[in-house]
Amino acid sequence: MTQRGEPLKVLAVCGVGMGSSLILKMTAESAMQALGLEASVENTDVSSARGMSPDVVVGQGMHTDDLGDLAPVVVTISDFLDADGLTEQLREPLREQGWLA
Amino acid sequence: MAGVSEYTVAGAVGVEARDWRAAVRAAAGLLVDAGAASAEYPDACVATVEEHGPYIVLTPGLALAHARPEGGAHASGVVAARLAAPVEFGHPDNDPVDLVLAFSATDDGDHVAMLAGLAKRLQAGLADELRAAGSGEGMRALLDGAP
Repeated sequence: MTQRGEPLKVLAVCGVGMGSSLILKMTAESAMQALGLEASVENTDVSSARGMSPDVVVGQGMHTDDLGDLAPVVVTISDFLDADGLTEQLREPLREQGWLA
Repeated sequence: MAGVSEYTVAGAVGVEARDWRAAVRAAAGLLVDAGAASAEYPDACVATVEEHGPYIVLTPGLALAHARPEGGAHASGVVAARLAAPVEFGHPDNDPVDLVLAFSATDDGDHVAMLAGLAKRLQAGLADELRAAGSGEGMRALLDGAP
């Protein structure tokens, strides 16, 4: 469970929102599970993402550069299959938000 | 659980491509040859990258090409093309690319189970298995052999 008592909203973004971001969604789910956090992970395209209010955004730099103020935690990842790397990248920013002990 | 084996699959080795556009067209062309996409689909896949950037290079050495269903998808399919020589997509971290996967899906929903299965297998090392396969048929069998 998160410290705040409800699942974190995680958004995986890519250009079209159906291929790469879906694979990233799976990786993000693995990472949140590894961190022991309850999360609802969705995937979408970068344009649709601008209308959403997630807690966490993950994506490649070419997309997260445009989404830096969309969520309290925005993490840039190059390798969409690297669940261990994403887990480590998420740990500190999630702690800073008080969402991870 | 459902795997990629319910979908059209194909593979090819030694694919000649002088640049990323040719590589994407060659991979998507396997979907056309298999009847899963129309002749326009490969150009739609190239246009996706031109419009949105090289983010389809989603892990070092591997690109996942696709277009939206209206780009010419007839059926769900996943194919893989191993390039004779790697190409640059202009990705800041994941170039060069030697393995191009392409998929087709006829609506926004029907690809979800297919790609979820593909993602699990990629995380378990499918890319290197495809790189080690001796033939296009061997690659097809790997794509077909979802757990």
